[in-house]
Amino acid sequence: MKETQNSIGAYLKLHWKTAVFLVVLLIGIGLADIFVDSYMRRLLNLCAIYVIVSLAMNLVNGFTGQFSLGQAGFMAIGAYTVAVFTVPIESRAAIFYLEPMAPFLANIQLPFIVALILGGLASVVVAFFIGSPCLRLRGDYLAIATLGFSEIIRIVFTNTQSITNGALGIKSIPTISSLWWTYGTALLIIIATVLLINSTYGRAFKSIREDEIAAEAMGVGLFKTKMTSFLIGAFFTGIGGGLFAALLGTVDPKQFYFTLTYNFLLIIVLGGMGSISGTIIASFVVTLGQEALRFLDEPMAFGLDLPIFRPGLRMVVFSFLLMVIVLFYRKGLMGTNELTWDFIAQKYRSIKKKLSGKKTSTEGGGN
Amino acid sequence: MKKTLALLLSLAMVVTMVAGCSSGSTTSSADSDVIKIGVFEPLTGANAAGGELEVEGVELANQLRPEVLGKKVELVIADNKSDKAEATTAAARLIEKDKVVAILGSWGSSLSIAAGDVVKTNQIPAVALSATNPQVTAGNDYYFRVCFLDPFQGTVMANYASKKLNAKKVAIIQEVSNDYSVGLAKFFTDSFVKLTGDPNAIVATGNYNTGDQDFNGILTNIKAANPDVIFAPGNFTESALIIKQARALGITAPFIGGDTWETNEFITVGGADVEGAVMSTFFDDTNPLTEAGKTFVAEYKKAYPDRENIAAVTALGYDGYMMTLDAIERAGSADPVAIRDALAATKDFEGATGMITIDANGDATKNEAIIKTVKDGKFTYLDSVTID
Repeated sequence: MKETQNSIGAYLKLHWKTAVFLVVLLIGIGLADIFVDSYMRRLLNLCAIYVIVSLAMNLVNGFTGQFSLGQAGFMAIGAYTVAVFTVPIESRAAIFYLEPMAPFLANIQLPFIVALILGGLASVVVAFFIGSPCLRLRGDYLAIATLGFSEIIRIVFTNTQSITNGALGIKSIPTISSLWWTYGTALLIIIATVLLINSTYGRAFKSIREDEIAAEAMGVGLFKTKMTSFLIGAFFTGIGGGLFAALLGTVDPKQFYFTLTYNFLLIIVLGGMGSISGTIIASFVVTLGQEALRFLDEPMAFGLDLPIFRPGLRMVVFSFLLMVIVLFYRKGLMGTNELTWDFIAQKYRSIKKKLSGKKTSTEGGGN
Repeated sequence: MKKTLALLLSLAMVVTMVAGCSSGSTTSSADSDVIKIGVFEPLTGANAAGGELEVEGVELANQLRPEVLGKKVELVIADNKSDKAEATTAAARLIEKDKVVAILGSWGSSLSIAAGDVVKTNQIPAVALSATNPQVTAGNDYYFRVCFLDPFQGTVMANYASKKLNAKKVAIIQEVSNDYSVGLAKFFTDSFVKLTGDPNAIVATGNYNTGDQDFNGILTNIKAANPDVIFAPGNFTESALIIKQARALGITAPFIGGDTWETNEFITVGGADVEGAVMSTFFDDTNPLTEAGKTFVAEYKKAYPDRENIAAVTALGYDGYMMTLDAIERAGSADPVAIRDALAATKDFEGATGMITIDANGDATKNEAIIKTVKDGKFTYLDSVTID
């Protein structure tokens, strides 16, 4: 490993499959961006946003082993920052019709990218204040504090009428429809996370997850390391929230109930706590799966007119499928493994072996 | 064994996914003698009860008038799970996959606002049934509505308090996390202050959050201010609890509120304490304003003989469908843009909830609201108020 990293050429030689994959992926996104209809585009955008937020959550929960449930709150901060700073000034009077926007904000309009990063940074600042007392402690304190925080943020946003427009929410946020915003950001964040996890910091994160005392004994600064992970997670979540606001074009406090956090918890548990590729796969499975099962809500699914085919059935079936997956893959789809070329090759070999083994012992069996 | 089973199950999931996608695409290439109208409502989640009632109205209207321009009208019902992100995908799905020419819904202004952008960019007209927030149609040429707006309802109740109850001092209790309640409180305040000419006519304001249980703090303040009337627009459960606790504290001032009170839960939670509570609403089944209203009531009673009363939102669902069909007929084609233009030109359309004329904003101009009160554990017609 050490000698190959010395030159870029050698690095590419070792990772040519990944490089080819990346190029194919970029072409794929480009093609999808041109040809996909607005419904699919919306779903794909949502998938990318879920990838971003889940990855951030996995960084803290899966890799560092700190149970944080503040995702909805950090998303709200990112989303509202984008909303407040990108809404066109001329439509603000119509939106803030109950109480005019606070004068110090009313005439500030920022480009989307600036507001997005600002949202991420605002999340970081808030995360710092929550993290500094909680991360010094061991145990479940962080979970309770972050859960409480996300509720507090929502109630604060409900009551700051002149900044967030309270319960009325903000609409007419300039929307993004191109896939490049979400997938570009997701790709950057995935690459950043991979590099981070494989760095000294990443190893320190994992050592804390495995055993705090042992990690401390080896010279890992517990508080500082946990804080690093928590702040990076908050930054990514804020960015994800900002993209979410720009995708929907509207925000209001009710969107950010703590139940939103459970969507991401579901994704990281399903994908595997501590697996980047697992998180990405699970984000797509959950988002697209819910939508694909929509036909179960229709009265005439499978051409049968059964009374059970009514709205809500898809959620029952979806929950059932999730239970099955969690029962059989106790560590999530990927566990702590990553979807590397070696992993695929190994799986391929083991499946091939199993199939050929089966053929000799019994006949048929598989499909 | 376990692994094989798991593999099979995940395979089953993939198959259902593919089936889901393919069944969607086969119906989209439907023959042209069917006109599809999307109904986009919360059928699961927090707002499911409201969504269900609206769908009833739309379906009833569809049974009564299943054809337009000689083509069959097919309703495509999509659940938005009372969730904003889901609302936008549900609307996009109706437009892209099901190729609907118009959309009805949704219960809950914020869900309609979220879908507003989708219908606007895809140029598909949408008719909001009971979304009373002005933001739904503001700045959106493709969103219309059949109900009246928060400003109107606030004004109606202010007039009622000032003229009928001779109130000089009013206290307001608003559900601060609910856009509907905050809007109503604001417009009530504006018009009540104007009517009385007294800038201090609102003597106390209390805020609470959805789901709160204890209102004694707010009510003690209000009792000290000694108002003539208390205006408390908000969710029915919390409002009923507020009235109960106010009576326990010895507050005797009458309570008035908005259309959300008109649910059976309001009476079951409030019991004897909500007797005499007054609210504005869209529709009264014992006293329909129009001929269409009478037809609607008769048909509804036929279809659901065991229901005690008819929800106003059901009547609005009926009106939304009928108005859209009327627009399709006038447009003479099922082209969405033509339907939009016809909807915008709607004038004196006779709906179950009154005469509907669509104004430049896409809102129904209604100048008549119905005032109801709780009497002997039932919602009864009290008065109707006309505002010019």
